[in-house]
Amino acid sequence: MIGELKYVLRNALGKDIAGRYFTTFPDDTFLVSYPRSGNTWTRFLIGNLIQPSGSITFLNIERVIPDTNALSKSDLKRIPRPRILKSHQHFDPRYKKVIYIVRDPRDVALSHYNWQRKRREIDDQYPLERYISRFIAGDLAGWGSWGEHVLSWLATRHNSPDFLLLRYEAMLAEPLHELGKVAPFLGIAATPETLAAAVERSSADNMRKMEETQGSQWVTTKGRREDIPFVGKAKHGGWQSLLPESSVEEIESAWGPLMKTLGYELTRRSGPALEPPFIPLGDWGARHDQSNL
Amino acid sequence: MVSVIHKMAYGVKHILELDIAGHNLVPYPDDTFIVSYPKSGNTWTRFLIANLLQAEPPLTLLDMERLVPFVDGQTRRFFHHMPRPRVIKDHGPFNPQYKNVIYIVRDPRDVVISAYNFVLKGAIIDESYPLTTFVNEFVRGARSAVGSWGENVASWLATRGNSPRFLLLRYEDMLSGTAHELGKVASFLGMQVSADGLAEAVKRSSADNMRKLEKMHGDQWIQNKHMKRKDIPFVRSAKAGGWQAILPKTAVAEMESAWGPLMAKLGYELSTSQAVETGAATATLTER
Repeated sequence: MIGELKYVLRNALGKDIAGRYFTTFPDDTFLVSYPRSGNTWTRFLIGNLIQPSGSITFLNIERVIPDTNALSKSDLKRIPRPRILKSHQHFDPRYKKVIYIVRDPRDVALSHYNWQRKRREIDDQYPLERYISRFIAGDLAGWGSWGEHVLSWLATRHNSPDFLLLRYEAMLAEPLHELGKVAPFLGIAATPETLAAAVERSSADNMRKMEETQGSQWVTTKGRREDIPFVGKAKHGGWQSLLPESSVEEIESAWGPLMKTLGYELTRRSGPALEPPFIPLGDWGARHDQSNL
Repeated sequence: MVSVIHKMAYGVKHILELDIAGHNLVPYPDDTFIVSYPKSGNTWTRFLIANLLQAEPPLTLLDMERLVPFVDGQTRRFFHHMPRPRVIKDHGPFNPQYKNVIYIVRDPRDVVISAYNFVLKGAIIDESYPLTTFVNEFVRGARSAVGSWGENVASWLATRGNSPRFLLLRYEDMLSGTAHELGKVASFLGMQVSADGLAEAVKRSSADNMRKLEKMHGDQWIQNKHMKRKDIPFVRSAKAGGWQAILPKTAVAEMESAWGPLMAKLGYELSTSQAVETGAATATLTER
């Protein structure tokens, strides 16, 4: 009852977390990904590009590229338009312009495991194999499974000129090139110098340093375990040494065809032939540079 | 001021669970959702299912709203007290919380004509509104809160198409083999229904019978009571392929070039060649 009253009061004042249901505008751009796929790094990169005068920190990022799952409806109303908003939502038809970041699910799963330990939602003894099974089922958080999330966006939007797909791995390999795609998508004039400065200011080293001093104040990490960092290794392929073989197999048998479509090489040579995912609209290959896949 | 009063009224309703469920519905893992894009045969399907769920005839459209309620049509309290397992109607795009889903799809060229009539019925447009303009809006999903037809269908098909907890029904198959398709629904819902039971439900859900029921209770029925034009019925011709005589060629081409591969995948034959080529390109994408 008290909880209900609190909700009603918050809702009346617009102080409830925006989440999936808040007022969107046609000039909004959404930075969307499954959690633990490089979204925060991308926020820093874009933030540093659109705000070249002052560096992005964990203390100002929520004003520049706010998190729809951390801020309230009234907070979001006060963000000057056109807004760039961070979201972990599955397909939402109201999001007209979308940058979608995808990452190898074998790395996402590991990062997720650390994240839930940091949040004290599981303890360090929680068996990784069991965790991976639950990760695949998508019942760990309210976001749906990784495969459902990615497919819900790809199947609906991948052919749209208002949809930009980024691979985290390509961003690691060539951050300048990938950020160079984001700039025209957002209608930002960027030079090689401004791009390089944004990449430099958003380096993993810089972000780690900032987390050390600002992590206890940032909405996302405040009150979480401090012995597990939010900024991870910022590498790909960590699963190869850390993920049990059975877990790799489980992930690949759940999402193999989709992973292949996204250019993530499978370890399995054979196995049950799975139907490829149905991504129906238009010609993807023509729109996305094959050399980056 | 008005907004403050609205918010207070909502607050009171929320505490009493008397607010419309909508996205505040708490789904259970044993729920089954009857999902479709609007104007795709959802009401008929619900009426068929309601007739299976309640063996005692006769069933009205108002009974159907109780037996297979719409998430946007009943309060949270109603859903809270509904006996489980529940069967619930929705029109939304992919929702990861819906674990068991029956998705009804219909040829979008017919859907758009039905949607045009529906908007006429609500007196949002009148008969002078050009159909080609309406088709263009339809392709963009401009009047829709649940995405465009293609987005809605693709969001479910891509995420759940291979799942044993997903049943895809085509409205056209339901028209040509109603008892057969209803049999699939019954087994998906875990119901034991005899051939006679299926035939009886089909008979009671005929378009003629539903038209009669609409005349009897239409004014109290949630689908109709806020609709201004009483001269346009909710239950229409209940046929497939009406678009061929009504839709201008340019409008057909616009829809087929937007959704060609998806339509072809669903077995809706395309009438323009341009869209077929797009379909071929997609086939190589998924094989890559």
